[in-house]
Amino acid sequence: MGDIILTMKDIDKSFPGVHALDHVNLEIRKGEVLALMGENGAGKSTLMKVLTGIYKKDSGVITYEGKEVEFKNTREAQDAGIIIVHQELNMLGHLSVAQNLFIGREFKKGIRIDDKKMNEEAKKLFDRLNVDIDPAETMANLTVGKQQMCEIAKAVSFDAKVIIFDEPSAALTESEIEEMFKIIRDLKKRDIAMVYISHRMDEIKVITDRVTVMRDGTYVGTLITKESTKEDIINMMVGRVIYEDPKTQSAVPKNAPVVLKVEHLKAGKMVQDVSFELRKGEILGFSGLMGAGRTETARALFGADPKESGNIYVNGTKVVINSPQDAVKYGIGYLSEDRKRYGIVVQKTVAENTTMASMKNFMNGIFINKKKEKNVAQKYVEALATKTPDVDQLVVNLSGGNQQKVVIAKWLTRDCDILIFDEPTRGIDVGAKNEIYKLMNRLVAEGKSIIMISSEMTEILRMSDRIVVMCEGKKTGELDISEAKQENIMNLATREIE
Amino acid sequence: MEKIKQNALVKKVGFNRIVLVCVMLLMYLAFGGLTGGSFFGLSRITNTLNYAYFLGFLSLGVTFVIATGGIDFSIGPVMFCCALVSGYSMITYGVPMVLSLIMSVLIGVLFGVFNGYLVAYWKVPPFIVSMASMNIAKGIAAVFTKTQSVSWPQSATSDGWYRNFVSMNGFPVGLIVFLAVAVVCAIVLNQTKWGRYILCLGSNEEAVRLSGVNVKKWKMLAYVICGTLVGIASIYYVAAFTTVQPGYGDQYNNEAIAGCVMGGTSMAGGLASISGTVIGVFIISLLQQGILALGFTKEYQYIITGLIVIAAVYSDVSARRRKN
Repeated sequence: MGDIILTMKDIDKSFPGVHALDHVNLEIRKGEVLALMGENGAGKSTLMKVLTGIYKKDSGVITYEGKEVEFKNTREAQDAGIIIVHQELNMLGHLSVAQNLFIGREFKKGIRIDDKKMNEEAKKLFDRLNVDIDPAETMANLTVGKQQMCEIAKAVSFDAKVIIFDEPSAALTESEIEEMFKIIRDLKKRDIAMVYISHRMDEIKVITDRVTVMRDGTYVGTLITKESTKEDIINMMVGRVIYEDPKTQSAVPKNAPVVLKVEHLKAGKMVQDVSFELRKGEILGFSGLMGAGRTETARALFGADPKESGNIYVNGTKVVINSPQDAVKYGIGYLSEDRKRYGIVVQKTVAENTTMASMKNFMNGIFINKKKEKNVAQKYVEALATKTPDVDQLVVNLSGGNQQKVVIAKWLTRDCDILIFDEPTRGIDVGAKNEIYKLMNRLVAEGKSIIMISSEMTEILRMSDRIVVMCEGKKTGELDISEAKQENIMNLATREIE
Repeated sequence: MEKIKQNALVKKVGFNRIVLVCVMLLMYLAFGGLTGGSFFGLSRITNTLNYAYFLGFLSLGVTFVIATGGIDFSIGPVMFCCALVSGYSMITYGVPMVLSLIMSVLIGVLFGVFNGYLVAYWKVPPFIVSMASMNIAKGIAAVFTKTQSVSWPQSATSDGWYRNFVSMNGFPVGLIVFLAVAVVCAIVLNQTKWGRYILCLGSNEEAVRLSGVNVKKWKMLAYVICGTLVGIASIYYVAAFTTVQPGYGDQYNNEAIAGCVMGGTSMAGGLASISGTVIGVFIISLLQQGILALGFTKEYQYIITGLIVIAAVYSDVSARRRKN
């Protein structure tokens, strides 16, 4: 292994209310591939953003090629030779491959762009990397895998010394991944250092030399890939003490009726043949890593996005759900992870948001019965302990937790029996979190049923009666709470793809 | 969550509207002063208003569309199309007056349905739809009338009774009808499910859709309401001016939108005020009359209305930026 090219020492970074990086260390050597692993929210992306100047660090030292550096933006980092290949490709589909590669630094002939020269240079670059792509081809015509190659080639063309891959394989097929690995091995020979962020354990084993694990914004440790097992890595990723009591057994009687049954739900790449059942009074946890397809499953089920196939049964009757309207008709409510965009109408009052899904119960002929509307809203403000001066307050003035309660009130007013909570406590402070948990427990005690999508392991273990684990758009397992442990959930969530 | 102490009147009427009324009064006094008093007088005022009602109806209509976050640039030409097609039918084919008036409104409704369907169900951007239907309206009117202007009957003729809609022997019927329609609009916007959903989807369409609401239907409805009011506007146009020429009408888009935006309706959708629109329209027409009274030509009006639209939209945009 080569010399150290980059070290990050004692990097500290806080956002309002979150200590995102707590004295993190990282060391990258020339010609190695370093895996950076950790659960969602462990701080991997934040660390890379600090490195490339997107975020400014609060304290700590970055040493690059023996000198202390601090990049102000990605352009500076790029010029120094540190480049990120993003998960989402930043390509302009209607331009040619060569035009994309040299965007912002086009070869010119007088004032005209010299496309011929660009194609030649691109060809040289591809030859060097043993990639077979026609530089004159329109970018949109390439497969995602080839586009990814172009991104890598672009990074190389900047004379990169450090390349950071942020979940590069998320959208690739097996053979495309294999091809990408060939390039990575080739880059290794050229002494380029690489950071490889991925959740796929099998890839980590194949392509990386060392693994650095982060957890909750802290540095946990670094392992030599060859000498460690998958279990070692997972233990480092989850080895946290759970301070909130996890549920030990399901509170749902074995013979509780099935209120919702989903069979073979398919909707694009993110929802591949998902089946599950939800019982009355149950909290069914959906666990998995970012991009596992949980939200997509919920949205397809709810009719928010189109689905290709699959059967849905509500209380034993087969139903057709093509739009949220249909879903609401069958008593399904969806609380989105992104409240501001999908949950509330911020310029409207608490009362107006509360009755949004059930207007017809608040009509007096053609007029809205505003008195009744306010009374019902007031009832839920009290029942959910929503902090607001009155129900005429605009929702935009409420805090995140209280906005969430308004969304819950909306579905309770509609009298939905099946509620889908998508990341119910994201961006909510600890106190309000507990209130939401209590509320969810009260709802199931009253006979409602809840699907809870959560990326927080503690939340999953504390709230769920049963847990469905998803990975890459597929359901990889189902666990009763009595048998669920962080380790076996994480195992299913990072399951190797056959 | 600080609560600003407000006096009851300000709270009820709204600060913006009070400012607007003050602006209107000041403008009135200023024009009065500049023209040496010839601007004052009740008859002068009602006379001014007679030529403003049609603009008021256009402005009320477009308020509903803007409330959804959309825009309609076809209102002026569609209004002309209504007046031309029904007027030509009456004069050339002998369609009775009553039917012609009904026809005017129906043509407006049809355009509303057309625009609304394309915007809501086909998801064509409102800007494009209304630009296209503006040209379609002009084209239909020109083809139908063989590019001839149409003169509706004068007051003295047997069919001239329709002009009473504006003013009957000096009694301002138009003012009463306009204010009554405005009250109905305000009730629809603020007290009914229609208005509630129109405003909510203008503010956050996706959240409303995910609440299980048929957003397409309500969005289309806004355009249909607009079309209906455009049809009514066409009656008030001919009742005031009697003569309509094919190929025109665009200039009223700007004026109607200016009145609406000046009254506090947000171009981003979700916020709309009918009373604001009413005051806004009065200010626009007062300004126009003032400019004419000061001896400037009509072209100056266009410049000033254009600037007003920009100023009103800018203040709306910057107010929202400050809030974020």
